[in-house]
Amino acid sequence: MQRRVVITAASAITPIGHGREDILRSLREGVSGVKPLRQDDLLAPFIHSQVFGTVDYPIPFDFKRVNRKTMGPVSYYACQVAKEVLEASGLEQEFITSGRLGVAFGSTHGSPTVQREIYKVFHSRDRAGVSSIGAVDYLKSMVHTTAVNITKMFGITGRVIASSTACTTSSQSIGFGYEAVRYGMQDAMLCGGADEYDTTTVAVFDNLLACSTDFNDTPQRTPRPFDVRRDGLVVGEGAGAVLLEEYESARKRGATILAEVAGFACNNNGGDLILPNLVGIRETLRLALRDADMAPEEIDLISAHATATRMGDIIEAQAISAVYGDRPLVTALKSYMGHTMASCGVIETVLILYMMQEGFVAPTLNLEEVDERCAMIRHATSIVKTPVRAAAVQNFAFGGVNTGLVLRKEP
Amino acid sequence: MTREAIEAEIRRIFLQEFEIEDPAMDVDLREAYQFDSIDAIELLVEIERFLGSELTMEEKKRAMDIRTVRQICSYVEELVRARRPGESLPIGDLCKEGS
Repeated sequence: MQRRVVITAASAITPIGHGREDILRSLREGVSGVKPLRQDDLLAPFIHSQVFGTVDYPIPFDFKRVNRKTMGPVSYYACQVAKEVLEASGLEQEFITSGRLGVAFGSTHGSPTVQREIYKVFHSRDRAGVSSIGAVDYLKSMVHTTAVNITKMFGITGRVIASSTACTTSSQSIGFGYEAVRYGMQDAMLCGGADEYDTTTVAVFDNLLACSTDFNDTPQRTPRPFDVRRDGLVVGEGAGAVLLEEYESARKRGATILAEVAGFACNNNGGDLILPNLVGIRETLRLALRDADMAPEEIDLISAHATATRMGDIIEAQAISAVYGDRPLVTALKSYMGHTMASCGVIETVLILYMMQEGFVAPTLNLEEVDERCAMIRHATSIVKTPVRAAAVQNFAFGGVNTGLVLRKEP
Repeated sequence: MTREAIEAEIRRIFLQEFEIEDPAMDVDLREAYQFDSIDAIELLVEIERFLGSELTMEEKKRAMDIRTVRQICSYVEELVRARRPGESLPIGDLCKEGS
């Protein structure tokens, strides 16, 4: 059985806005969501990179305590975008709880905020402190906390997939959700990812000399994917969700179809866990096209992973050039909000959906002078009004994991 | 410590920690308020704070059969007595199960 899979609802909480209108406004106006790194009582003062993709606006969470009690900050994000997607989808409650809908959702760590509190108790060596570890602390912090808090809140009884592969977490969620629907294991999948504010992630990349440090006084000027002055990534926070449905049933119920998930691929470099790998990435892009049964010429837009690291951007440009040549426009959406880690794949997918609907391509922000080693592809350096019939979203993660998604506007 | 004081504290805990206002004394908490096993463990932590001492494993296990607010009050009352053997509760404060 091979069925067609469409996206019928999407939402995102990002450093450049919450929901379609806010995000589109930021993309059109070139607004950056990168701000000074918020201080904490742990690592922030010691980190060289003092910038962060920040969600600094209020979000009206309206969750009952029965749901809140097992949620750390990351699950608040996850459940909010899940709620918005389910509301927008128009799915009947009977379907949502029928077992025909599953969830594919992940985060990098679970909730580091909650984990931090547990570690404080461990290190206190205080017997009385041990009993202060709450009954729900594990449920708030476990790595599949986002997925199961979503199932609990909405009574979803289908399969649960909780990817946790750092930067490819949510693109895997979409891909594995797509496969579950395509091969008839579920009729719909709620897919996405989330990550909360966390300085440990920043510290890790900072220690690897992978974070941006040259623009601490002008946060909005970094990250700078493909630019000669790029100096590393900027960590960020956020969440996104999409609803995938089997095409025929979505069409019959009159659902709004945002796009078709035409193809997906995931592979591994089979070696180094950190360095980008041209062969592995190039192969992923080709496999995704093959899965979609589409030619490179059919792709109008590429959402590059493009974290603004020195080597990563060059390898990615080489891979894009090898597979697509210089025809499709390439945009690097992390330039607006930093690297939102587990949520980057789904957020970038949601932004591509919005641009597909509106018929424009937002340029890579801060791309003032293209690095000549990345110049062989067609960078979007200003807003381009153009129909986007098909787009590719690509993400790569520590551990050598690569993903490619192919989206087609008209099924 | 009076039975009324214990009951008032349990009601305060239910309101502040579990957002359950003025729970009925004899209804099954799970059925009426979705009070689940996680809440039960959290309640024990609150009771430890109230008593100012840790509960033993045996005391915690005894709590697992509790279903109503009245049972909780009686349970706490027993714990108080065990910790302050010289302290007696006024007769009028001793509300029996189901009374």
